[in-house]
Amino acid sequence: MGVLSKLYAYIYLRGFRIWSSYKTQMVLNVLSWILPVFTYYFVGTSLGGELESFGISSYTAFVVIGLAFQGYVSSTITTISQRLRNEQLYGTIEYYVLSEGGVLSFLIYSALWGFTINSVNAGVILGIGELLHVDFHVNVLSTLIVFALLLSSALGLSMISAGFTMLVKQGNPISFFFSTFTTLMSGTVFPVTVLPSWIKDISLAIPLTWALEGLRFTMLEGYGIGGVLGIVEVLLLFNAVLLPLGGWFYLYSFNRSRRKGTLSEY
Amino acid sequence: MIEVDKISKTFRVKGKEIRALDKISFQLGKGEICGLVGHNGAGKTTLIKILSTLIVPDAGEARVENHDVVKEANFVRKLLGVMTVSERAFYYRLTGMENLMFFASIRGLSLSEARSRAKELLEMVGLLEWKDIPYMKYSTGMARKLALARALITDPPVILMDEPTLGMDPISSREFRRLVESLGRNRTVLMTSHNMVEVEDLADRVVILNRGKLIASGSPRELKERVGTMKLVRTKMPDSRLRKYIVGLSDQYFILRVPENMNVEGDEVSREPATLEDVFVSLTDEVDSTTNRSRGGGGWRRWAS
Repeated sequence: MGVLSKLYAYIYLRGFRIWSSYKTQMVLNVLSWILPVFTYYFVGTSLGGELESFGISSYTAFVVIGLAFQGYVSSTITTISQRLRNEQLYGTIEYYVLSEGGVLSFLIYSALWGFTINSVNAGVILGIGELLHVDFHVNVLSTLIVFALLLSSALGLSMISAGFTMLVKQGNPISFFFSTFTTLMSGTVFPVTVLPSWIKDISLAIPLTWALEGLRFTMLEGYGIGGVLGIVEVLLLFNAVLLPLGGWFYLYSFNRSRRKGTLSEY
Repeated sequence: MIEVDKISKTFRVKGKEIRALDKISFQLGKGEICGLVGHNGAGKTTLIKILSTLIVPDAGEARVENHDVVKEANFVRKLLGVMTVSERAFYYRLTGMENLMFFASIRGLSLSEARSRAKELLEMVGLLEWKDIPYMKYSTGMARKLALARALITDPPVILMDEPTLGMDPISSREFRRLVESLGRNRTVLMTSHNMVEVEDLADRVVILNRGKLIASGSPRELKERVGTMKLVRTKMPDSRLRKYIVGLSDQYFILRVPENMNVEGDEVSREPATLEDVFVSLTDEVDSTTNRSRGGGGWRRWAS
């Protein structure tokens, strides 16, 4: 019901209109997408062929995929928990509870704005990669499958993160972990094989680690679905756990707040 | 139609239990405007939030248009227009029109319905010429009118308003009351207020809460008849139980406004019919607005000496 109007409301009005009304922030956001690509490009250039021993033939290609897709997880998670907190501060959270589709609709459409802005971010980074002569060999179908599984796992994590925001208001551990540790642990700018084994084990519990590996295969090597089947299965497993767990925890946190009368507290 | 049946709610704050509502019961029919009054912390907002499905009661039942606010919360939400007390509850960078379109869209209206309904409501509340101005430029009165427009966005049969005229100047407030009056003809309206003139002017029914308990309910006329005539008495030093009746000072004397049947030492100055404010003062405890506890006597004494 009213999907188009909700997309207009969440993505255009509350997303783009408000984001673009802060011009300086908009420019800084775009710079924050672009500059890391060049930073890591020069890191790669200065290392030359040193990285081949880690199985990386082109560091620029490696880092372009890492940076383009890492944002989907970290910023979607932080965007949603921040969004929820902002709505508590504005006093608008209660109107979302009263809205058609309720708080689940709020979460999904808010995530869509996060995905939209990250798609622009990813597009810009992949475009810079093209300019820096990254040799893309994209298998569209397998890329879309791995990408969709990455997004849905990010949604599951977002629900858990938003649930924490409802319960603890500030000091969200999920948001903190994904905004600070994913670059370190998920193989975004260097392969996880260089990590100490115990950190490497933790990194395997993050869906992004698997998705980035899969996306590098499907976008740089042109692997079809058969080539990344193992990764797809792992991502499906993450989704099977994270989506129901996230949905349950998110709704539990709202219902608990309604019982305690703390819905609009912050 | 609203039915509230023995609703109770207790909040636990730092291990302490605060009884916000204690077995509240009343009914409101279609076309009725009800003023919910009480001290700060008397339980008004809690009750509005329970009826809005935003807080779950501990006991009792509440129904909106015969639908239970707990068991059928999703359906009840469709029947409600809610105006919360928070003035900030809009997006400051969006215009009035955009804000209304946003809230219309999330309430399930299509894009074209949202646009036409937003325009219609902006015209109704007198904000059409301000429709393209960002919300952050709106005055308090304009902000409250926009909040009323939002409450009406789905043309709901029941409207719940928490202190709708808070911070409004008298002219805007009067204008606002006329709007609510016209809306109340074919809807059920429940509004909280501290402004007794407003409640007296608007409400067909008044419900008075005191420390979470319903202490009186009826039409303004019935309630005023219950208190009767008030007398103004000039007295030297009222005892603590009379402190809430002090309306002024004159030459080292206190002027008290008390029910005529109350024995008070002093000189009677005049008699006047009771107002709703008199009803409220007579029926409720004196409560310290910062702690929601009865004040001990002595504050006025210290001040007077």
